[in-house]
Amino acid sequence: MLILVVGGAACGKSAFAESLACQGALPRVYIATMQAMDEECEIRIARHREMRAGKGFSTLECPLGLADADIPAKTALLECLSNLAANEMFAPGMTPQKAKQNILNGIDLLCRRCERVVIVSNEIFCDGIDYDASTQAYRVLLAQLNRAIAERADCVFEVVHGIPIRHKGGTHE
Amino acid sequence: MVLVTGPFRSGKKTFVREWKGWTETQLSEHAVWDVQKLAQETDDLEALCRKLSQYDVVIITETGAGVVPIDANERHAREQAGRLGCLLAGQASCVVRVYCGIPTVIKGVLE
Repeated sequence: MLILVVGGAACGKSAFAESLACQGALPRVYIATMQAMDEECEIRIARHREMRAGKGFSTLECPLGLADADIPAKTALLECLSNLAANEMFAPGMTPQKAKQNILNGIDLLCRRCERVVIVSNEIFCDGIDYDASTQAYRVLLAQLNRAIAERADCVFEVVHGIPIRHKGGTHE
Repeated sequence: MVLVTGPFRSGKKTFVREWKGWTETQLSEHAVWDVQKLAQETDDLEALCRKLSQYDVVIITETGAGVVPIDANERHAREQAGRLGCLLAGQASCVVRVYCGIPTVIKGVLE
């Protein structure tokens, strides 16, 4: 089962995605995509580690190359797609098209290996601002990924102030 | 307390006035709005949430649905606004999200 959880900054999407992943079988892996560039990232990472402590997750650092990762787990929580997309797209020699293909290959592989996959992504499309060309290309990439994953997903949720709104899938979850 | 949320200018106050039959004056007595702006001015979001929860209706504008801001203060502000929204929604008996003027109850029952 593939579940996509989308929301804006600090909307409570991580806590909700985690609760969905905790309904999946052990062993559970948390696929962490954020690279700690500075103190702010470290604080954010520490907060998330604290949130999932004691819930049976091992952590796999995977800022790039999801398709090559060895994931021996029944449940996977990938957080988050927006970091993975940025890391892939802005890597040397990459294009948005290649980044998209790499990520989708990685997700398809993940879905074949695990019984339950929960993917967290970001809503970054509602601020009405025109960005520079490379940021726009990134937004297009993330939007395409969100749509491609939503198409594959059994359930799609948007989280608003910690409240999940179901956009796709049955009522039993 | 009922929490009314939604994007900028989506019709949140208009909805509250029509739902309650309130005048502008009654609205300002019983409701509080733009509370997302208060979040960045405090370190104690839970205290702010308790204070706001005394109103009948709390109106918050959804933020955070954009590219991560380059400015650290802006990042902090939207983080705080988001956390406040989660706390208020947790406290609220009912949450209504107004989208393009259309209200949808996303928690509880609207009475």
